[in-house]
Amino acid sequence: MNTSNEKLMALLKEVIDPELMVNIVDLGLVYGVTINEDTHKIDVNLTLTSRGCPMGDMITEDAKQVINANYPDYEAEIHLVWDPAWSIEKLTERGKEELGYF
Amino acid sequence: MNQIASQNAPSPKVVVPHFVFGSLTWLAVSLLIFFNPAAFTQHFFNPLLLSITHLLALGWMTMVIFGALYQLIPVIMEVRLYSERFAIFSFILLGLGAILIAYSFWHFSFHIMLFVGGSFVVVAVIFFVANVLITSYSSKKKNIERIFIITAAIWLLFTVLAGLTLAINYAFPFIGISHIELLKLHSHAGIAGWFIQLIIGVSSKLLPMFMVSHNLNTKKLTYAYFLINIGLILGVVSLFILWKYGVIISVIMVVLGIFSYLLFIFEAFKKRVKKQLDIGMKQSALSFMVLVIPLFLILSLLFDLDMLKNLTLPLSVAYGSTIFIGFISSLIMGQTYKTLPFIMWLKVYRGRIGKVKLPLPKDLYNEKVAVAQLWLFAIGFLLLLTGISSSTNYLVSSGGMVLLLSVALYNYNVLKIIFHKSKNK
Repeated sequence: MNTSNEKLMALLKEVIDPELMVNIVDLGLVYGVTINEDTHKIDVNLTLTSRGCPMGDMITEDAKQVINANYPDYEAEIHLVWDPAWSIEKLTERGKEELGYF
Repeated sequence: MNQIASQNAPSPKVVVPHFVFGSLTWLAVSLLIFFNPAAFTQHFFNPLLLSITHLLALGWMTMVIFGALYQLIPVIMEVRLYSERFAIFSFILLGLGAILIAYSFWHFSFHIMLFVGGSFVVVAVIFFVANVLITSYSSKKKNIERIFIITAAIWLLFTVLAGLTLAINYAFPFIGISHIELLKLHSHAGIAGWFIQLIIGVSSKLLPMFMVSHNLNTKKLTYAYFLINIGLILGVVSLFILWKYGVIISVIMVVLGIFSYLLFIFEAFKKRVKKQLDIGMKQSALSFMVLVIPLFLILSLLFDLDMLKNLTLPLSVAYGSTIFIGFISSLIMGQTYKTLPFIMWLKVYRGRIGKVKLPLPKDLYNEKVAVAQLWLFAIGFLLLLTGISSSTNYLVSSGGMVLLLSVALYNYNVLKIIFHKSKNK
């Protein structure tokens, strides 16, 4: 992962899942980020812990706004993806710790 | 982008009145319990208990379930609700019907007001069932939860039609079977066919979602579905033709079906990612533990054990009260904290998400009040159950008093959530 991607992932840690109270990066919900310097576009592939998650709107909007606020010259687009489906294995060590998983 | 649930959500104007009417009715019922303990310490076919039961079943439980379903069906079936107008018609008729029926039973009057009230409820349910069927028809999700919800809605229609027929038969007898046997048929179609089956359909989707539990064995739900529905049909036919063994087999099947569902919920609980249960889930967990009581009670009542001979009537009332108050009411009270704050939060803050720092849905209610509500409920219900089982009026009344406090706190939080004003203009 290059430094711009790392910076983006660090930014996305500001987005918290309101049900679990853990950020979406440590939950493993962010499947990938790409920055296109030519078109000034940022694409984020994001999933949710379950389909039909009632707070899906809040998470995707939050992610978009966080990027917009920090990259005012870029256009952020969030792609909701369901394949592969989210599973416990996608949690980071820190995410597991915060959920009291150990 | 794929559609997400909140984009299918109905207007809060459809959902919220159900919660207000329901929680105020529950408050009124707890007052009635406090002032009329004798309703619970005599034969269950008495005017006060009939009135209280119908207020609870229609004005509180079914009312809130209808409201919540209009919000949850889009989550479960990933499709918009067919008609908000149907939902409003249904709300008005169900509310009026519940009041007219409860008033008539209170005065033990099997006259025009009861039949009008009963007809209102039947039409309300027809609107509801039509809404559910047409909505689910347009859904591509053919999962077991959807089948449970559709089947439960059909059992509800059967239950209210049977109820109205029963009332007419009491005034103008035309069915040659005792009212008590017919009442058992009506009440169990409602309890197992409507309430429990609906709860299974909704909770088997939502509880794993709230606890973040994956890789669950849904075969347990399929077994539950067939055991409960075949058992219920057998039970209804057996009660009607007075075939005792048929009734026994049917009860065993339904109880096994419910256990199969409880095993599914327990598996979800064990596999949960979110280890800490919040207050809404704690009250829900209490409800599931309480559900085991009536499952044993009905088996002991069914086998007519000699040692329980003198306790048959109090235990019958205890059985019904445990299901209505200990399980269903308690589960609704807990799950209110998992649904209503989200509904109001989206209404108040939609459009400003991500732009400013916003409170979380759980900040819309007072958690300390919710904790007190749970403890008071547990104590109040224990007192009530002890009072009913020992036919002691003052214990029932004390239970009613503590339950009243719990329900008052619940109402406080419901109103606090509904009247939440934006913190960030």
